[in-house]
Amino acid sequence: MAWEERERGGRYYTRSRRRGGRVLREYVGTGPLAELAAEADRERRELEEARRDREGEELERLEALAAPVLEVSEAAEILAHAHLVAAGYRRRKGEYRRVRG
Amino acid sequence: MSGVNAKAKSGVLELSEETRDRLAELRALSKKTEAGDKGARGELRRLVRASSPEVIGRASDVARRAGQTLAHTAAGGDLLTEEALHAKLDYMRAEIAGEDPTPLEVLLTERVVSLWMLVTLLEALVATQYRRNVGDASERLSPSYVLQQSRILESATRRYLAAIRELARVRKLEAAVPAATGSFGRRGRVSPG
Repeated sequence: MAWEERERGGRYYTRSRRRGGRVLREYVGTGPLAELAAEADRERRELEEARRDREGEELERLEALAAPVLEVSEAAEILAHAHLVAAGYRRRKGEYRRVRG
Repeated sequence: MSGVNAKAKSGVLELSEETRDRLAELRALSKKTEAGDKGARGELRRLVRASSPEVIGRASDVARRAGQTLAHTAAGGDLLTEEALHAKLDYMRAEIAGEDPTPLEVLLTERVVSLWMLVTLLEALVATQYRRNVGDASERLSPSYVLQQSRILESATRRYLAAIRELARVRKLEAAVPAATGSFGRRGRVSPG
């Protein structure tokens, strides 16, 4: 989204859109209508940024809630494996087999 | 999600550096033993006996408190719901651990219970947000957010199912280990040096 200057004076508003991997610049207009369009685009951008921030914080909160459970889960896995290996088992292809000696 | 400051709470809910070091040692020795290092097995047994009761105790404690924090979050300030969830967690613990569980079974039970609570909370959150997504456009969530949230849920569900399998496997193999060689810590089962 940008205001472009004309060589002979005056300015016009354009929007950029990505379509099929290419960026297309679209002429919107000049004068009050272009001002309104620019204002609407700015508001939309701000709302989008606020939503991204909100979602980012929400995901961080979810990950923080899950983190201790996941850490303990990994610890339990290590301990269970150590106990089984100490008791004479070996894991092969996800299955435990008892070994001699 | 309620106004719980999960980050602040999770700062307390983590294993200590010392516990992590013990776990790293256990993991390394298990690997060496599996690779056929004969000396490593004796060392692993010694370390399992010496350090695992404490490590198991600490990990069980973190798991239990993490489950309680999740129940608090899931209740969203409703005390009755929170009490009901705590009662449900206690009931699950008793049912899954059974009578006279070994310390390892206690930890694996805590793992199953806390993962169940995590999966339940995540499912509720995802369901709430999907409902929100069909309403007001300004409230809608971005596809990337929904995707990431679903990945967290999927990962937790996978671990939950793996935790159930692991507990069943440990019980089965534990039962097959002769008393003289056992290292699981059930009463009356002592492993030699």
